[in-house]
Amino acid sequence: MTTTPESILALIGEFLTRASKSRDDLSAQTSLWADGLELDSLEAAELSAMLEDAYGTDPFSVGATMPETVADVLAFYEGARTA
Amino acid sequence: MTSSVQGVQPVNNTEPAQHYDRIHEAWELLMGAEFHYGFFADASTPLAAATAALTEEMIRRAGFQAGERVLDVGCGTGRQACDLAERFEVELVGITTSETGVAAGRELAARRHRFDVDFEQRDGTDNGFPDASFDVVWVLESSHLMRDRRALLSECARVLRPGGRLVLCDIIRRREIPFLEVRERRREFGVLRAAFGDAHMEPLTDYAASLTDLGMTVTDATDISAETLGTFAAWRENARIHRDEVIALIGVDSLEEFVEATEILERFWNDRTLGYGIIAATR
Repeated sequence: MTTTPESILALIGEFLTRASKSRDDLSAQTSLWADGLELDSLEAAELSAMLEDAYGTDPFSVGATMPETVADVLAFYEGARTA
Repeated sequence: MTSSVQGVQPVNNTEPAQHYDRIHEAWELLMGAEFHYGFFADASTPLAAATAALTEEMIRRAGFQAGERVLDVGCGTGRQACDLAERFEVELVGITTSETGVAAGRELAARRHRFDVDFEQRDGTDNGFPDASFDVVWVLESSHLMRDRRALLSECARVLRPGGRLVLCDIIRRREIPFLEVRERRREFGVLRAAFGDAHMEPLTDYAASLTDLGMTVTDATDISAETLGTFAAWRENARIHRDEVIALIGVDSLEEFVEATEILERFWNDRTLGYGIIAATR
């Protein structure tokens, strides 16, 4: 599956729908945690698994720091795409 | 909170009263009349005796005196509030976010002629009561469903009179759970969430630290994971005994989900991921 920003945002939107969470304010600037999507650890784990299923890797499980915003998730795949 | 069966809760806080009654009846068959974990002296302790023993652990720490005003946060079906008012001659106010829970509590209080017990639809994390308006705050197995734990404890402290007591018992987290472990065990966590609601467990030390920060004096914080472990086998035994009745009330899928959830919780107790704690503090 291609890792365009649009496809990644669509997948995050699909996750939010499954998790019965609002996707009204979803944008690159949205925080994944408090004052944003308000993911808890289980929800982050589920999103992490969805991303890995779709793209073969995910920014939650790789690297020393967790992504803070949707932009961080997009940047992870942008970095992987251009590496 | 969910549909306000105390402690571990079936999911859905908007169901009509008839559906609530069916869930209530099923969970009473599975968990026993008191709707919470048990404190088992040994493996042969019957569930009813064990749940009563856990209540006694709370009562011992609450130190009720006749005439005191008591707030029951997450009052469930209201049975315990009525029991405490009757036994200790205290004035009880039970709060829950569930409209059907409030209605059930008021109906029960009326049936038992408990005019010293009231139930109100309020949020434990923003209860709206005046400062220093209660002598005891009682929080039995409801805190894990309130994500803003700090707000809950802050509100409990705020409404206590000087010298007032808080008693709380609940499921606790006994160790850090690394993200990759959460991910690996997400199916297990997912089953628990589906069966019992959006629960978030904190270490007992975090409860104690928060209460201390709020100016409370923690008088007791005890891990009773070993004593509560027998709860899961007892619930499964009830599931076996009442299988047909429970299926008729909530369906086979919900019953099987419940049984699987008890097995997962038992594993989490045994590997020291989760457990159970009781804490008391004075203002």
